Amino acid sequence: MTETLTGSQILCRALLEQGVDLLFGYPGGAIMPFYHALPEYPQLRHILVRHEQAAAHAADGYARASGRAGVCVATSGPGATNLVTGLATAHMDSTPVVAITGQVARAMMGRDAFQETDIIGITQPITKHNRLVEDVEELAEAVEEAFYVAQEGRPGPVLIDIPKDVQNQKTEWTGGRAGKRTVSARSNRSPLRPSALLEDAARLIAAAERPLIMAGHGVLLANAYVELHAFAERTGIPVITTLLGISGFPEAHPLHLGMPGMHGEVHVNRAIQQADLIIGLGLRFDDRVTGNLAAFARDAKVIHVDLDPSEIGKNVPVALGLVGDVRDVLCSLLPAVARRNCDAWRAEIASFVRPRQEAFRGDLSPETILDAIDEATEGRCSIVSDVGQHQMWVAKLFRYQLPNSHITSGGLGTMGFAVPAAMGVAMARPGQPVWAISGDGGFQMNMQEIATMVQEGIPVKMAIFNNGYLGMVRQWQQFFHGRRYSATPIWSPDYVRLAEAYGIAGWRVESADQAADVVRAANAEPGPALVEFMMEQEANVYPMIPPGGSLSEPIEGEPAPLVSA
Amino acid sequence: MTTSQAVSVLIEDRLITLNRAVGLIRRRNLPVRSLAVGPTDTPGLSRLTIMIHSDTATAARAVQHLQKMVGVRAATAFPAGEGVARELALVKVRAPHERYGELLDVVQLYHASVVDDSPEAMIVELSGSEAFVLSCIRALERFDVVEVARSGTIALGTGNDLQSGTLP
Repeated sequence: MTETLTGSQILCRALLEQGVDLLFGYPGGAIMPFYHALPEYPQLRHILVRHEQAAAHAADGYARASGRAGVCVATSGPGATNLVTGLATAHMDSTPVVAITGQVARAMMGRDAFQETDIIGITQPITKHNRLVEDVEELAEAVEEAFYVAQEGRPGPVLIDIPKDVQNQKTEWTGGRAGKRTVSARSNRSPLRPSALLEDAARLIAAAERPLIMAGHGVLLANAYVELHAFAERTGIPVITTLLGISGFPEAHPLHLGMPGMHGEVHVNRAIQQADLIIGLGLRFDDRVTGNLAAFARDAKVIHVDLDPSEIGKNVPVALGLVGDVRDVLCSLLPAVARRNCDAWRAEIASFVRPRQEAFRGDLSPETILDAIDEATEGRCSIVSDVGQHQMWVAKLFRYQLPNSHITSGGLGTMGFAVPAAMGVAMARPGQPVWAISGDGGFQMNMQEIATMVQEGIPVKMAIFNNGYLGMVRQWQQFFHGRRYSATPIWSPDYVRLAEAYGIAGWRVESADQAADVVRAANAEPGPALVEFMMEQEANVYPMIPPGGSLSEPIEGEPAPLVSA
Repeated sequence: MTTSQAVSVLIEDRLITLNRAVGLIRRRNLPVRSLAVGPTDTPGLSRLTIMIHSDTATAARAVQHLQKMVGVRAATAFPAGEGVARELALVKVRAPHERYGELLDVVQLYHASVVDDSPEAMIVELSGSEAFVLSCIRALERFDVVEVARSGTIALGTGNDLQSGTLP
């Protein structure tokens, strides 16, 4: 038996068919028919955010934490354009997000109608795919296509734009109309990976004296933890994890080296520069990882494994490219490689390690805070970081034990990401503590979402590393702009009273001895909680490779002040 | 080595798909010399030919990016010299009465034809490789060239180098 449904009802049914049970969104004129239908489908929980950007970041956070597509909803015009930063963030980090936007009615389109914007045109470069639904007859298929494209191969965001009158149009609901054009056209494209290539890879690995594994986001996206662990242990090859690869390999494992690149530790970058083989697993060789490409790992042959063939050889020349899901490739490679060890090479890398001494006011260092979170959560928490100095400290200093427990905006470097993304992570991982760690700059970009957490009961713990500056920009000004702190001092409200205004628990921590107790109390709060840490104002992230510089030339301490002419 | 490369793409014949393909070419900073698009023998599919001046690796990467796009059915690249690459040009040209015969000699020399002969100016149609077309236009510039319209290059690989796409 068939039923006649409106476009909005079909949209709800199609979402349910995709297994969706959670939407982050904000209503408005052109999406009202959908919001009218929504209460008929109580299985679809809707979280009302305070700004559409937060809806996109929350959907992204949900996707990163759950491995399933996150969904956000907005109206036409300003609602849709507010999604843009969140979609660009998801696009750069390859996460599956489906955005649904209302559009003005078809008869009004192209006439600069109220709240009309060409969101298809606007989001074209920052989505994996997007589509205007021109008739209700194609709506169910468009939803199925969106979820398929967002999640297949290298994931990414997909936007579907639905005119208001299409949401009201009626047609017969026939259920999942399988065998769609795009789905069938794209599923035929299986990567070519002849076994000869695997043998070549095994030979390169056996012949290398100073090999390294560089593990990126692809390891997390492919759930390749077990395989990477087995591969590293079988070959004894040390593992470097990029910013988005962190928590893809156990932090405490003896083979784990740390993060490479602009703020990578000296011994990690030096290992790269001395390596004779780099096995890149699901990473893009981004400029923040490689520094100056001409000076990057000159002695190393590169084996690059990536799901996206266009990534192979894009930035660094490769000796061997293996196209495929990291997990699939490692499964095929594992039986082909001989058991070996890299003890001499590891000892050499260990000799590169340099101690650092940094002073923090009241001894309140990032280590103290992160140790307190580690202790209060017994290491079983998700850390969502924002962008800037604290992001680097959080990346390098927390002892990630759980796979995929570190979530951050890598490629786009979106300040304001942590607080809304943490809501998505918390929704995906009920019962697990989720700490959103931001600087005082990034926190103020999306702190309005505390209201969302309160209204919806989302128990995110927020930590603010407050140093009164846009710290990373200030650091660059100190190093490269003669200490001219232009527009980087930033005032903050009284965060404890802000917490009070929102009706949540809030603390200010001024010295190291307060940190453990406060973090324990915040972590024990049943609802959202906020902790402000008063940090040393002009602390720097060391070491640092100057932008465009070689990995061999790190800045390890405060540079001498410029001599004025 | 940098040469003229043809990137040939079969796409669904919707403006949005064309828009997306061209947007991708722009975003990836490809050195585009010409773009040409038109229908194919398969209903619903268009062929977009993008001529770029690059090495083969750049052209191959363009193909990989295009192949990821929804709406692209097939994409390939080959050096223009390894296929047949042609463009069409219409040149509106004026000549004083006493040089009319000289103008017709140039038209004949380039196997071009006069497709309109209005009293004010004539329109010459010519086709060939980009170099041939440019050379002919230069020859016509000895007269008074008023307007030029060029189609951009279309190209096909030779022999069994087939590229087909079908709608299911």
